[in-house]
Amino acid sequence: MSRYHVDKVMRELIQDEAAAAAFRADPAAYVAPRDLDPEERAALIACDYRTLYRLGAHPFLLWGYVRAAQAEHAPESRAYADALAPLGTPDFGT
Amino acid sequence: MAQLVEIIGVTHNPVLPGIFQQRMDADPQVRPAWNNFHLMGEKLAAARPDVVIVAAGDHLNQWFMDNMPPFVVGKAPLARGPFPHELSLHALQPYEVPVDVDVAQALLRGGYEHGVDFAFSDEFRLDHAFTMPLTYLRPAQDLPIVPLWTNVMAPPIPPARRFYDVGLAIREVIEALPGDKRVAVVASGHMANGVGGPAMRRFQDNPELPFDLEMKARLEAGDVEAVLREATWEKLMAVGNGTPGFLDFVLLLGVARGARPSYVALNATRVTAASFFMSWDAPDGGPR
Repeated sequence: MSRYHVDKVMRELIQDEAAAAAFRADPAAYVAPRDLDPEERAALIACDYRTLYRLGAHPFLLWGYVRAAQAEHAPESRAYADALAPLGTPDFGT
Repeated sequence: MAQLVEIIGVTHNPVLPGIFQQRMDADPQVRPAWNNFHLMGEKLAAARPDVVIVAAGDHLNQWFMDNMPPFVVGKAPLARGPFPHELSLHALQPYEVPVDVDVAQALLRGGYEHGVDFAFSDEFRLDHAFTMPLTYLRPAQDLPIVPLWTNVMAPPIPPARRFYDVGLAIREVIEALPGDKRVAVVASGHMANGVGGPAMRRFQDNPELPFDLEMKARLEAGDVEAVLREATWEKLMAVGNGTPGFLDFVLLLGVARGARPSYVALNATRVTAASFFMSWDAPDGGPR
């Protein structure tokens, strides 16, 4: 588990529009140098927020990342929240 | 002798300014929330403070898990915010005020005397947890503050009793300040809410939650032990991942030494999470 590094990537995309644009252009290249588990890396690249949530990504950062990474293609907040509901409240401590 | 002239707790929901500006009639409880912000601003003005200590939880904007402090005092001469990405997401306004560095230093030194090792920072930006409430409480941006950040976001966070004890220590420090400074304490926080978790849109179906109503009743009664007992990390997280923001209200309860507040209000809506307000007016019994 490298939740800290998942959270760090997500925070960068939220705070820095240039970073978000670089990620949207080539997510695999953006996360290539990061210290991530294969499952985390694949989920970040695919913006698979259900998997990231299950793995313990910080929820507050996760929602911001989804919007930064997907821009106008991001899900509505209700659909996003409903998709997470079956997963409960995973530990997101780093 | 310094005087504690007002204690105020408010929500810092960054969605509210946009609702206030464009959708005031979206729910019957929106306008009462707006009115409560203005009531709190009037209370603050009536108390005529020289400085406001503002306690709030940063949202992983200024502080992060590379070096996460539980409680931090800002002592740079100027405080400004919010963050640029917050301005682009929400209808927030820039806010900039001087920091009362003397009071910041007194908090740091006095903290050590009263069992609290505050961290400090000489370079920071305030996020919406500070600027959103201050925009309504003091729109003139003419009152010095001392920012006090709390970690309510990144576990392990301090337990509720620690927030209460830090509040008690702040009260001791204020009362030991030299001169005749008039000091107010403001904290921003949340009742039950979720941002980025499954509870994020719960208010659409269930605006008035048992957690909120029960906590409001405990605070109104000044039932410190019940508040602390029901504000564990597990119990707060069970009603939404943003609910640990409630702990900044627990800190205020400590500043008030557990006294019953003068005013408490809860505005639950179906358009955003419930807003909570409370105040202790003339908490040390001195003249206004």
